[in-house]
Amino acid sequence: MLREFRMYAVLLRAAMRGQLQYRANIALVTIGGFAYQGVGLAFLWVIVSRFGALGGWSLTDIALLYGMRLTSHGVWAMPSAQVLLIDLAIREGEFDRYLVRPVNPLIQLLTRMFPIQTISDLLGGVIVLTAAASASDVRWAIGTVGFLIAGIIGGALVEFAIYLAVSSLSFRVVQARSPMLVAGTIMQTAGPYPQPIFPSAVRAVLTFVVPVAFIAYLPASALLRRSAEIPYADWLGYAAPAAGLLLALAAYRLWMRQLRHYAGPGN
Amino acid sequence: MPLIRVEGLVKEFRRTRRREGRFGALRTLLTRQYDVRRAVDGVSFGIDAGELVGYLGPNGAGKSTTIKMLTGILVPTSGVVEVDGHVPWRERERNARNIGVVFGQRSQLWWDLPLIDSLQLISRLYDVRGVEYARALRRFTELLDLGEFLHTPVRQLSLGQRMRGDLAAAMLYAPRLLYLDEPTVGLDVVAKERVRGFVEELRAGGDTTVVLTTHDLDDVERLCQRIVLIDHGKVLYDGGIGTLKARYAPYRELVVSLADEPASAVEIPGLDVVRREDQFLAVRISAESTGVADVVATILSRHRVADFAIVEPELEGVIREIYANRAVKP
Amino acid sequence: MQVRTAMSYRTDYLFSLIGLLVQVFLLTVVWRSVYHGRDTVSGIDLSAQLAYTTIGTVQYWLFSPWTFSIVPERVRTGRIAVDLVRPLPFLGQITAAQVGLTAGVAPFAVLALPIAILIGGAAAPGSVLAGFAYGLSFVLAYCLATLFGAVVGMVAFWTTEVSGFFMLYRMVGQFLAGALVPLWFMPGWLSALAYVFPFQAMNYTPLAIYLGRDHGGRIVVDLGVQVGWLALAAGLLLLVWSRALRRVISQGG
Repeated sequence: MLREFRMYAVLLRAAMRGQLQYRANIALVTIGGFAYQGVGLAFLWVIVSRFGALGGWSLTDIALLYGMRLTSHGVWAMPSAQVLLIDLAIREGEFDRYLVRPVNPLIQLLTRMFPIQTISDLLGGVIVLTAAASASDVRWAIGTVGFLIAGIIGGALVEFAIYLAVSSLSFRVVQARSPMLVAGTIMQTAGPYPQPIFPSAVRAVLTFVVPVAFIAYLPASALLRRSAEIPYADWLGYAAPAAGLLLALAAYRLWMRQLRHYAGPGN
Repeated sequence: MPLIRVEGLVKEFRRTRRREGRFGALRTLLTRQYDVRRAVDGVSFGIDAGELVGYLGPNGAGKSTTIKMLTGILVPTSGVVEVDGHVPWRERERNARNIGVVFGQRSQLWWDLPLIDSLQLISRLYDVRGVEYARALRRFTELLDLGEFLHTPVRQLSLGQRMRGDLAAAMLYAPRLLYLDEPTVGLDVVAKERVRGFVEELRAGGDTTVVLTTHDLDDVERLCQRIVLIDHGKVLYDGGIGTLKARYAPYRELVVSLADEPASAVEIPGLDVVRREDQFLAVRISAESTGVADVVATILSRHRVADFAIVEPELEGVIREIYANRAVKP
Repeated sequence: MQVRTAMSYRTDYLFSLIGLLVQVFLLTVVWRSVYHGRDTVSGIDLSAQLAYTTIGTVQYWLFSPWTFSIVPERVRTGRIAVDLVRPLPFLGQITAAQVGLTAGVAPFAVLALPIAILIGGAAAPGSVLAGFAYGLSFVLAYCLATLFGAVVGMVAFWTTEVSGFFMLYRMVGQFLAGALVPLWFMPGWLSALAYVFPFQAMNYTPLAIYLGRDHGGRIVVDLGVQVGWLALAAGLLLLVWSRALRRVISQGG
């Protein structure tokens, strides 16, 4: 296991060095990324300032939720966004090469390139989160801060699990890109919203089918002492980080098993 | 014990039959029907350590599929494949340490980084110790003449330079087994010769077993003593080139250039004329027949000859005929 | 030709449709939640708001430039040199390409609309006049979106790395166009800001007319504003175009 981490670091550094060649683009892409996140936030801000609350959540509550979602996404994206390009890696013959090296193919896939677009994701997320956290009425101490971090990492792991599981379709079916886009859209759109606004059927789906709720809403609920709002079990919020870990491990095992069906490009 | 052992190897690919027309995609999804394609259909052979084997076949014959099973990329549908006593796809990473692979169509080097960076990275991926890396780097820089472009980003290299880089990368960690998949494709004459020279050196060294997949028959004639011919997933021939030519094309051609008559004027019974063109005549002479001298004498006695030449059968022609007949004459 | 290219990305569009519908769903859920039993807020009742979201989101999807014109691609591959031999037709070509793209995408919008309405709900136009005026405003808005898209696409003549810039334009544009929040709910200063930019004329205006929010004489003003922006856009396009031409010539292509 240790060796794998070492290999990951080596490969990631190489990928970063590769991207540094295109410096000007990094700034532009980062700005674009901020714009993307900013708009979502602006929407929520306008709504809540006009209407007072959303689903019973105040502006600071929502900002915390939003910040957690963004940061989680950034934590996922920087090391793992390349999983979205699995179709490309297979089609171009890169994946064949991964299988011929004594290094875990997933690690090689994730480090094939460094996704500079994700810098803004993480940076923006941290900025919003910090602002929201300081404005929020959560009492920040070692316990709560620790849980916040655990919740964010857990959320990143959930996103990782979802994308990884869907990406394994690429081994059996020609394209995983479209299903991944759908999963991404659902996570992106529904992720930063407090679940009480959704009809109960949708809440169930977002909790147990595509576990978006675990990404930010559930841990945020726990922090904001809103666990009573969770219809299934009020400890679900506290379980979110652990759920993330379990889901990620399960997705990884699924991926490795599906690898056996790999048929190479153009078959 | 052979280094590579393949027995009754089969690989099937299932592909969903796409439905055409409106809502084709939807119907494909709902009513799944499969086409099964047997890319490799019961292939068996053994390769001993130190051999240099050419693996030939037309496109779609099952060459790359076999190689991919040998390298652990694909999992066989059935049959046995063993490399150095291990099953490649089961122990992929362990197998990977023992093999070097060069895909002619796709470089394994990092595009944006200088060549030396790629070599360094690979040495780390394969846990090559510093001292050994330095030694290997020196050796291959010299052998492949990498010196002048070691520090150039790979994306700026010519195809020939990239191929040399890939060869160095593949051999950096001294693998026992080297798979070359179309290593000379797209290269100019000089570059091709460089690659062939390098492979020949490796073979002479004796430590490396080489499996060469190629369409370029000059590669084969230059390098291989043994070839395995595959078509439609089955092995058609496995043996030496000389034997193949002798068995399949046990003839030579006598090309005669007549002095003042058209080729059509030659009417000699018992002569196997295969081609006539202007005043050129090509006569097939079998190995067991009366012999070249007799045929030449017969023609000379009847016609005035300006020139003649004896042509050996080409490997290409032989192989083309084998594919056409899909069998090898016993 | 662009229609054919659009068709070849059929799966892409289908899946972006799913994204569209997910967005409609989310927005309508949010609106229902904030209305929370109240019938009218700021003079807009819930059904009107939902109709805005439903029709508006599909409309915005139809208008928003998928690829910011063919210019960046042409510049990158170098084909622009050939195009520049015939400049005026080329401008026409850009717009034609965009229209072709929209034509290819339109069936999907038509497909999505009823589903979106099912999710969100719709409303009839405020009046017969509103219906007609909507049609006119719709066309104007579309032209405006296309022309501005072409202007923005021209940035490709100055830099090959355009994705960040496009993203900025698209996002800010989306917000100020009222694609998420209608202008009537924005705080005063924000909606005033929106009027400084052409975006609201590309999306909000037709919807406001349709729902009867802008009625009577106001409609004339709205249409006039759209025309004004259109003229500006055309002028801007020609200006940027001539500059781009000059730049290419001075750079040797």
